[in-house]
Amino acid sequence: MDLENIQSNSVVDTRGLTCPMPLLKTKKALKGMASGEILEILGTDPGSKKDLPDFGNKGRNQFVGMLDASEGHTRYFIKKG
Amino acid sequence: MKTEIRNYYSAVFEQEWPAWLAGILIAIIALMIFLWQSPWGIAAGYHNWGDWFYYLVGAYDERPLNSWLHPVSLSDAGILIGAFASALMARQFKIRPAPKLEYAKGLVGGILMGSGAAMAKGCNVGGFFSAVAMMSAGGFAMMIGLGAGAWVGLRYLLWEMEHLPSQAVYSKPKDETTSKAVDWLKIQPYLGGLVAIGVIVVFYVYAFFDKTQLGGWLFFGFLIGLIMHRSRFCFVRAFRDPFMTGEAKMVKAVAISIVIYFAGASVIKWAYLQEPAMGVYHPFALGCSIGGFIFGIGMLLAGGCASSTLWRVGEGQTKLMVTLVTFTLANSLTSKFLLVSGLGEKLGKDIFLPDALTWQITVPLVLAFFLAWVLVAMWNEETEKFVVF
Repeated sequence: MDLENIQSNSVVDTRGLTCPMPLLKTKKALKGMASGEILEILGTDPGSKKDLPDFGNKGRNQFVGMLDASEGHTRYFIKKG
Repeated sequence: MKTEIRNYYSAVFEQEWPAWLAGILIAIIALMIFLWQSPWGIAAGYHNWGDWFYYLVGAYDERPLNSWLHPVSLSDAGILIGAFASALMARQFKIRPAPKLEYAKGLVGGILMGSGAAMAKGCNVGGFFSAVAMMSAGGFAMMIGLGAGAWVGLRYLLWEMEHLPSQAVYSKPKDETTSKAVDWLKIQPYLGGLVAIGVIVVFYVYAFFDKTQLGGWLFFGFLIGLIMHRSRFCFVRAFRDPFMTGEAKMVKAVAISIVIYFAGASVIKWAYLQEPAMGVYHPFALGCSIGGFIFGIGMLLAGGCASSTLWRVGEGQTKLMVTLVTFTLANSLTSKFLLVSGLGEKLGKDIFLPDALTWQITVPLVLAFFLAWVLVAMWNEETEKFVVF
């Protein structure tokens, strides 16, 4: 999937937050989304690079991918299952 | 060959290590420390640093032991330096700012952890990890307290998400400094290598002055810091994740580590290679359970325990720098208060399990206990029975 041009349905900004807040905010955001929708998470915590893919693939959800942005943060994409 | 070396470097210093591997390695190093002098701990080093602050501002009369001659202070410094070297070698070191609310949580979390560790006479390492391996009943009481505290702390974080949303902190790199930033990234691994060599040199300096044992504490701490940062090994997650996501990965890693540490310590103690009751000084049950509970809430607020505060500071997390300061100050002050007031003696007494239950019962009982912990966590991972939201 082309992550540069992906259309996300919702965005969660966790830049500056550290473990466990990025994961908590992601979980909360996913609860309010419909099946098939894409959640984009913006983050700077190094731990998220492992935590979010692991969590994103839990259950019926699917971790779509991640992308380091030129602004210094990382963009993560999870598809709600 | 250059490509092959590059791949090996990436596998060791850039890619994240599995938590279970880190658990095994940490147990082995903890056993080395036990054989080297005494069981591994962390809060005693924080205590020493806090004592120095109060002594220097004139609040304490008695001069504390020099931090460079204090074994646990040295291993704590080693953990921080090891994580710093690891972050540099992975090109991950960066001063990381946080929103104001996160600093407040770091501050309060440090105070709670420092106070809790003073009551339990140990943190997540000396009061739990090493305590259960040393067969101190207090270690199990603290474990229960940590679990309850983690549950309460998580409930607070959920409340906070609803009522106190944090503003994201983000600073865009300036265009004119882009070229310098690239250079900084390139030299980070070399700086990390120099830091590692520096630690080895310091070890030899200690040995030169007949202080080899002290130098060893610094070196062991350095290895632990490196391992913890490479694997992002986090005791907090072992207590928090079963309630948050249901994940059992860190429960398994911590349990593997404890079982190895416990098995090795049993051999060492039972064979009288070290004094059997060594490392058993925890106030069972009140001090350890209440202290563990307070510590558990604090570690959720701070997002790090005694050990992960050190390695996260090593990778540049400013929130945990605040936690480190308040942990040291609260730990020293609470310990002093418990001592002067006499309350410390009322919190319980140390119990060495083989004295109370015999060796023959203690060993299989402890192994069965941690096996049960893992099985319950795995069951919860499937059913999410304990997950709170």
